[in-house]
Amino acid sequence: MDFYVLENKPLAEFDNETLVAKAINGDRAAFALLLRQNYILIYKIAYKWCGHKSDAEDITQDVCLKLASAIKHFDGKAKFTSWLYRVVLNSVKDMQRSSISRNKRHEAFAEINQKTALPEQEDIMFTLEIWQAVKKLPQKQCDAVLLVYAQELNHAEAAQIMNVKESTISWYIMEAKKNLKGIL
Amino acid sequence: MSEKADKFAKLKNIKTPEISKNRQNASIEAAMLAFDIEAQKTAQKENSKNFQGNGLVHRLITIFNKNDRIFSMNKWIMDYKLPLGVAAVALIAFPVAWQLTSTSSLIGVKPDVILGEAKSKQELTSTSSNDVIGEAASNADFAPIQKQNLAKDTPAVTRFESDSVEGVSASPKMTRSLEMVALSPSPIPNLQDGDKFSDEAESSLFITAQNPVSTFSIDVDTASYSYVRRQLENGILPNSDAVRIEEMVNYFSYDYKTPQDENVPFSQSVEVYPTPWNEATRLLHIGIKGFMPEVSEIKPANLVFLIDSSGSMNAPDKLPLLIRSFTLLLNQLSENDTISIVAYAGSAGVVLEPTKANEKRKILKALESLNAGGSTAGGQGIELAYELAKEAKSKGSNNRVILATDGDFNVGLSSSEELKKFIEKKRDDGISLSVLGFGTGNYNDALMQTLAQNGNGNAYYIDNFKEAQKVLVEQVQGTLTTIAKDVKIQVEFNPNTVAEYRLVGYETRALKREDFNNDKVDAGDIGAGHTVTAIYEITPVGSSAISVDALRYTQEKPAVVSGNADEYAYLKLRYKLPDEDKSKLIELPISVNMAKDDIADISPEFRFGASVAAFGQKLKDSNYGNKISYEQIKALGQGAKGEDRFGYRAEFLSLVDLASSISGEK
Repeated sequence: MDFYVLENKPLAEFDNETLVAKAINGDRAAFALLLRQNYILIYKIAYKWCGHKSDAEDITQDVCLKLASAIKHFDGKAKFTSWLYRVVLNSVKDMQRSSISRNKRHEAFAEINQKTALPEQEDIMFTLEIWQAVKKLPQKQCDAVLLVYAQELNHAEAAQIMNVKESTISWYIMEAKKNLKGIL
Repeated sequence: MSEKADKFAKLKNIKTPEISKNRQNASIEAAMLAFDIEAQKTAQKENSKNFQGNGLVHRLITIFNKNDRIFSMNKWIMDYKLPLGVAAVALIAFPVAWQLTSTSSLIGVKPDVILGEAKSKQELTSTSSNDVIGEAASNADFAPIQKQNLAKDTPAVTRFESDSVEGVSASPKMTRSLEMVALSPSPIPNLQDGDKFSDEAESSLFITAQNPVSTFSIDVDTASYSYVRRQLENGILPNSDAVRIEEMVNYFSYDYKTPQDENVPFSQSVEVYPTPWNEATRLLHIGIKGFMPEVSEIKPANLVFLIDSSGSMNAPDKLPLLIRSFTLLLNQLSENDTISIVAYAGSAGVVLEPTKANEKRKILKALESLNAGGSTAGGQGIELAYELAKEAKSKGSNNRVILATDGDFNVGLSSSEELKKFIEKKRDDGISLSVLGFGTGNYNDALMQTLAQNGNGNAYYIDNFKEAQKVLVEQVQGTLTTIAKDVKIQVEFNPNTVAEYRLVGYETRALKREDFNNDKVDAGDIGAGHTVTAIYEITPVGSSAISVDALRYTQEKPAVVSGNADEYAYLKLRYKLPDEDKSKLIELPISVNMAKDDIADISPEFRFGASVAAFGQKLKDSNYGNKISYEQIKALGQGAKGEDRFGYRAEFLSLVDLASSISGEK
């Protein structure tokens, strides 16, 4: 029941790190709130990496389930969100390895196309083209580009998530641009 | 260069589609469950040393070996993406197994103690005052190998012991099982010994020439399916008395044609097709679907939660699950609805006077205040609950007592018969009763059935949070709103075309032929949007499957042909509208031409129903349908999953696999 009581308090009272610490000590209300607070973030990351609503929902669910046991491995060295990014990206990779999602991939961003007004569609098609090209890049370059451009993180944040130096992020992005020179 | 950067910058324009709230809630619920499991594992690890070296470890190993499949399934779900339904089910398997091992010995212990202080549980056992459970159950830790339905386990135990003699350098499988043992504080999930089921013989075969008419009351209960599921997930084949085929079939909603006219509150669909388990017979499959009123037309609900808070409810899958379940229900209600809460334990008491359902905080607070303890004064509680229901009754309201318990009533109106009469009387005053069953070990299925059937109500068995979601959220209108009552079915078979027939399931629902037109005889109710299915296995005249030989000395009278030799049967259905006392009649001839020659030609909805019925018969070890293999059952259901929005049908198929591996049969 604590779960429902906590829900009524303003969310701002709790930061992720406090909630994580409580959750590790077995506070289920804190864990529930942590999931609620981060659900949209997880879902957004998943969507931008896989481009498909139901895949993104599956990944989000998968991440939520994984967090139940993985949370105790969060050591506080990085920011919680950085750590969370890593969990989500791993989950995306798992998903993309499995054959189930492969069939769906071609309809990436289908939802957007259907629901948008005509003038915007061209722009969206262009975005989609870029996204598809980026997805074909080597994994690390792709991750770096999406972190920096799709999620609009700065290089330092991206570096923390990918567990590399800031300069490496810049290098990945440069490589990505080089690779896509002919295409874009 | 900058131009390229701009192109990448387009990526920030990707807009994520809106998340589905349902999906979000479901995912979080599932994760909370996973979190609870983790917490239990941690607690158990700390206590495991107290239980090692115990001779019972041997037995446990055999039991958990059986469950290997469940654990590996659990891992599999973590690795691959599956629909939530399956994930939640697999996740629940662990705590349930653990739960079973701990329930009886933890009677009278507060929930927080359950996780933290498992080691002291043996002392605490003696604090139990629940005389219903009695000695046998609370001493189960040390009881000799299980009675009734675990008898099947005995060979496994012996086999293990001989294995262990051969060498301690355990196989990988054994090592893994040992880990499981370390995680499980107390032994033997055999406590379903305390669960009570009424013992009904299987519906028998009738010769049409002698008994052309079959009459029964519909049954919308689903409790049996959830119970069976839980047993299977614990690696145990359910007791055949616990398997009620009609409840298994009716657990699923079928996409039968929707009723058009609210004056005729339901539609009937019929198919006749070859029997999957017998080439020489056919199935006559009747599907009924209830009308779903517009939201605006739904009557205000006056609900009294009658909550068993006795000592035996003290287990994570009982009182805490119950409270969470009611919270779900609460979210479905509005300010027009009224809630009251009565708890019964030791002495019955009003926990919450009738309160508007939108005063959630107040209601939740009352629910939270419930603590398990004391013995079960069910009779008194039920009287009090009906008093409150009467008090809060308003014009046109849907009045219902919702009883949530793990089983017994041991004070006051304690005899089942007396209780039954009381509930019948209240039913006539316009107050219905629904029963939600929780937990195993003490579960009194027979009593629950009696209560629900006589109270114009329905019985559900809530074994996990997902089931609570199904009963109290997805199908809440069916659970709460009755659209037709006393629904009876009578089928007259034509002896010219049907030699023999048999009703699959509905053993506890048989009615006398003359009861059909007697409006005083009570029968089952249909809730809004409910589907009800009944299946007859018929042996056509001239079939090789006719099991009764012709008589040698007595010439049987030839059947009187009434001009309808092209009909198999005549279906009659009687029902009353919720506020009426006089029944209405629907009639439908079932012609021979309707029969399909290939099961592949019928709608998947019917095929799926047939596969559930086949599974039920298999588990019940039916005299008529036990030859079909699990593989065949699965193949039948596999192609008929339909939309399966909530994953129930996929879950069914995984249960078939589970039963197959537990029984060692293909």
